[in-house]
Amino acid sequence: MSLRVLVCCGSGGVGKTTTSAALAMQAALSGQRVAVLTIDPARRLADSLGIGPLSNTPQRVPLDELGVETAGHLDALMLDMKATWDGVVRRFGGSPEAQQRILDNRYYGLASTRLAGSHEYMAMQRLYELYESGDYDLILLDTPPTRHAMEVLSAPQRLNGLFDEGVMHWLSLPRSKRGFAALERGSEVVVSVLKRLIGAGTMEEIAEFFDAMQGLWAGFQERSTAVEDLLASNETRFVLVTTPAPAARREAQEFADLLANTKRPFGGFVVNRVVPAPSAEARVSPADLPERPDSISIETWQAASLTLLGAADRQQVLSDGESKALEELREQASGSVPLWPLPELEADVHDLRSLAVLAGHLAPAIEALKQV
Amino acid sequence: MSLLDKRILLVTGKGGVGKSTLAASLALAAALRGKRVLLLETHGSKRIPRVFGKRALDYKVQHLTNNLHHLSVTSEKALEEYIVGVIKIRALYKLVFRNRVMGPFMDAVPGLHELIQLGKVMDLERAKERGRPEWDLIVVDAPATGHGLSMLNAPASMMELTRKGPFYENAKLVQALWGDPERTGLLLVTLPEAMPVNETLDLYGRLGDYQKQLVLCVLNEVHAAPATSAQWAQASPHLDTPKLHAAKKLADRHMGRIHRQEHARERLGALPCSLAELSFLGHRDLDLADITQLAEQLGGAL
Repeated sequence: MSLRVLVCCGSGGVGKTTTSAALAMQAALSGQRVAVLTIDPARRLADSLGIGPLSNTPQRVPLDELGVETAGHLDALMLDMKATWDGVVRRFGGSPEAQQRILDNRYYGLASTRLAGSHEYMAMQRLYELYESGDYDLILLDTPPTRHAMEVLSAPQRLNGLFDEGVMHWLSLPRSKRGFAALERGSEVVVSVLKRLIGAGTMEEIAEFFDAMQGLWAGFQERSTAVEDLLASNETRFVLVTTPAPAARREAQEFADLLANTKRPFGGFVVNRVVPAPSAEARVSPADLPERPDSISIETWQAASLTLLGAADRQQVLSDGESKALEELREQASGSVPLWPLPELEADVHDLRSLAVLAGHLAPAIEALKQV
Repeated sequence: MSLLDKRILLVTGKGGVGKSTLAASLALAAALRGKRVLLLETHGSKRIPRVFGKRALDYKVQHLTNNLHHLSVTSEKALEEYIVGVIKIRALYKLVFRNRVMGPFMDAVPGLHELIQLGKVMDLERAKERGRPEWDLIVVDAPATGHGLSMLNAPASMMELTRKGPFYENAKLVQALWGDPERTGLLLVTLPEAMPVNETLDLYGRLGDYQKQLVLCVLNEVHAAPATSAQWAQASPHLDTPKLHAAKKLADRHMGRIHRQEHARERLGALPCSLAELSFLGHRDLDLADITQLAEQLGGAL
């Protein structure tokens, strides 16, 4: 068995999308056929991959521009929620008329893009399609930023619960009088309260939607179970992306605990933007400064000198704070969870070449993760 | 008109830029100017009360200091309160609305949770105590997901879904308060790097009718530097002696950050509001002294 899926999780703003792309690139450069699926519509990622706007279909990243020979290749795609939902309806929706009935439903139009958990669910669906296609040795999933990191894992289940037979019974109650008497009374309350809240017409439409979805449900359920199994299997690793900032670190830790509790395969932490400690040579004194050239004003020379003389101390303060943060993360991480620090780069990742620099730093991570 | 004369200030921005920190500093700054302030958190974080040495309470107003109070309104709690208000029996709510089947369904009605949250804030805005508003100012720390935009769009979503009926009317009322530039102001928080600034400008573009309510943009975690990047560019080539090489590399790195910061500042200048800046205080959990310091820094912008 080999590693087939890497799921990158983390809170917003930690560089998750860039890290996913860099991990994918490193795997491709090591000879694998790789796809990276992102949820983030940031133009910048497409720019840094050297391709046009990302879409629902895979686009080849021009790795040859790096001047490196590799047998592998890298494709990038961006999740298109509506298209993936429509695909699921077409695949499992039964007769063309039944499919159309769902696609035309007004609630479906709203639900398919706005339903809580929809992003996560459809990301998993698209991931599974790529996995099934057999076109890739490794697929990277860049998960949506979540309010609580946990939602990435619980959302598909929550949505499954929604399409569970139960809710159909409840909502289409006037048509199918089944279930326990107590439940029926309960559901009457729900239906009447909801009717009061959102209006009878809207309720009708929602009930119709669920009615139409009923045929779809078995296929849906089967697929979701397969995705769940894949994500819990030895072919998958979850990677937690974080930074030394307290909030990001806390959330990564919570997520690690959740992975452990739900018995998901945890690959390790990638800690972004770590500032290295200054070297001893970087400590200089005013005596080391050259004479001010006549072409530079006194004011400018003083400002620049202060910048230079304070550089080591400034870096030391940052670095000390961060080593403490990393230590805390290491301590809290149970057992032998690997932790891969990435140095803060001198410039933002903005093109293929700067992404390759980051990818190079992730080589040990990819090597370790491949050992499943 | 001062920013603090609004009734509601909503702090929003991408995850990890320091929304909660700004919301707390802003609320404290307002309270120190004598306003009765409610700091309202929407994402269930328990951090801010702890900074003030208080326990986080569940859906109850907690006194933090002087005129400053805190309330956590998660969408789950707000929805529970709302529906219990309609059906009157809490046990029934738990039994029929939060069970395995109906729980996910309630979560799936587009905009429902967010609308109820906004509605809760509306109730607080209207609350009176001895004939005058209970709160002079409510500072809302918006959810990180979707830039809090989905929250602001919730009334419109609900109106689109229902088209008439009590919830439609409710959404209209909520919209009237949240869309009123006299009473409600928006603050955008961001970091001095290219990507967060891109997203902030993008978020502004997608605010639609809410654009006119933008009152302040806050650049968080601003680093100090003795030189501007222009000064450094001019002088640093003369500082590259063998002895200084290592130090210059570090300084180059720092000045690279300063350069990006200057660029961020310039780009944010395109927004039709003033720009406030908060210092970078290190990667650690902020304490009350830090929040007080940041509240002072905000002072001028208010």
